[in-house]
Amino acid sequence: MFLLDAPITGRRQVARGMFVLAMHAPEIAGAVRAGQFVNLGWSPGPLLRRPFSVYGSEGEHIEVVLKAVGAGTSELLAMEVGDRISCLGPLGRGFDLTGGPKTVALVSGGLGVAPMPLAARDAMAAGLHVTWVHGARAAAELCAEAHGDVVVWATDDGSQGVQGTAVTAAPDADLVLACGPNRMLAAVAERWPQAQVAVETYMGCGTGVCLGCAVPLRRGGYDRACKEGPVYRAAEIDWSSLPSHLPYAVGA
Amino acid sequence: MTADMSVAIGGLQLRGPVMAASGTFGYGTEVPLLERRALAAMVSKGIFLRPREGTAPPRIVETPGGMLNAIGLQGPGVEALIRDYAPRWAEWDFPVLVNINGESASEYGELAAQLDGVPGVAGFEINISCPNVEQGGLYFGNDPHAAAAVTEAVRKRTKLPVWVKLTPMVSDIGIIARAVESAGADALCAINTFVGMSIDLNAYRPRLSFRTGGLSGPAIRPLAVNLAHQAARAVRIPVIGVGGITRSEDALEFLVAGCAAVQVGTATFVNPKAIADVHDGIAAFLESRGFNALGELPRYLPRD
Repeated sequence: MFLLDAPITGRRQVARGMFVLAMHAPEIAGAVRAGQFVNLGWSPGPLLRRPFSVYGSEGEHIEVVLKAVGAGTSELLAMEVGDRISCLGPLGRGFDLTGGPKTVALVSGGLGVAPMPLAARDAMAAGLHVTWVHGARAAAELCAEAHGDVVVWATDDGSQGVQGTAVTAAPDADLVLACGPNRMLAAVAERWPQAQVAVETYMGCGTGVCLGCAVPLRRGGYDRACKEGPVYRAAEIDWSSLPSHLPYAVGA
Repeated sequence: MTADMSVAIGGLQLRGPVMAASGTFGYGTEVPLLERRALAAMVSKGIFLRPREGTAPPRIVETPGGMLNAIGLQGPGVEALIRDYAPRWAEWDFPVLVNINGESASEYGELAAQLDGVPGVAGFEINISCPNVEQGGLYFGNDPHAAAAVTEAVRKRTKLPVWVKLTPMVSDIGIIARAVESAGADALCAINTFVGMSIDLNAYRPRLSFRTGGLSGPAIRPLAVNLAHQAARAVRIPVIGVGGITRSEDALEFLVAGCAAVQVGTATFVNPKAIADVHDGIAAFLESRGFNALGELPRYLPRD
């Protein structure tokens, strides 16, 4: 775990309202694994840090992907190259590609694309056949960047690729990795109970002390998205108790 | 020259005035980035006799300058605490106090008895902001008699330092402070979180599944400084200030207002090095003003 003041080194648009921010964070770039996240803070900004899956990592740089969904993300997107972001990470437990799978499907909806480029990189490096499946409401909202041997697009309105969700559009595979709204991940759990899913929760510290990011488990009790997660076997989670809509509540 | 930062509080000699507040530091095993030299003491996450699952999510929500939490005192219970954590605390070079909780005065007493003498346990912080199940769920901390009864129940079962963490949700904190002082508390912590609520305008219901939560963070600091000051004026035992401390200047406000030491809580969530930053900032302040020791800091503490 590292705490760095990371200067922004670039920003690019990848879909309507969706941007990738690049930061110079060498220690984190060197350590991060697919599915892990960073907790970002900035000044002036909200009190609590905001968790982001690491979208890209190359050399000494990491990338995150975001949309302006609230005051905090709007502030982040208003920052310029050279501005510094306090970057805590890498945090959490990422995807597990071991166990000898031959094929992997990376299934994402909307901003759930966030952990997939690193997952694709690691899976391809391990010699897996990678199917990239990405869905959104409409073509303009699909993340334009895709990786893998096969790419499948899905849109709710049919404006690009398969009409329907990424979950219905995806093929079966030895290993399924998924990320997206928790409602979508509940559908993943129905279809592939053994899939690995990266969940989104409210988060306080990101380091395991506040117990704010409780994930309800089917065996009873809770554990911490920031420590034991954010990646879980889909069948482990009590989806009926996991909040599906997470508007951050910064009022000021 | 470096100012002497040590303080003696309620039976403990501490190397500095800055501690980790309960519930914001776990059991001390999860904040790897903090330089422990600055940590005067740690108060553990609150513990009950038995394991507790905690509340359903959402458990936290951010509010202007603060956050609401309703974790529900999730914890492993006292047996697991003694087995898994106390042995590690025994090896550390700062004292660990256990934040104890119960549904009745006798449960608090039983917890203290079980933890008394366990290597690694240096003392107790009583959380009196729990509902008293035997008295219809009234909070111990809102009633001077119940607060005193809990303090006495713990005091009888241990010779270790007993601190009492006061709730701010009272009309006169001085009355509660004096009641627990008379019942044998060695020090007071002022204050616990304020009870608050935040509404989701899309769902037309509270954002927290528990409905209400404890408000912490910079938003409560002026309220906390006042209440800690009121408590300090009311008693002779030391008062430890807690509530919204993010920077060393915040901690110095509590110290000048009559507190002997401080606890840093929510700030650690944001900045894992907050305790060291606050400690170093206090030291730098003392040096810049020409003080040789924390004890030389002027205090504003007119006695009632």
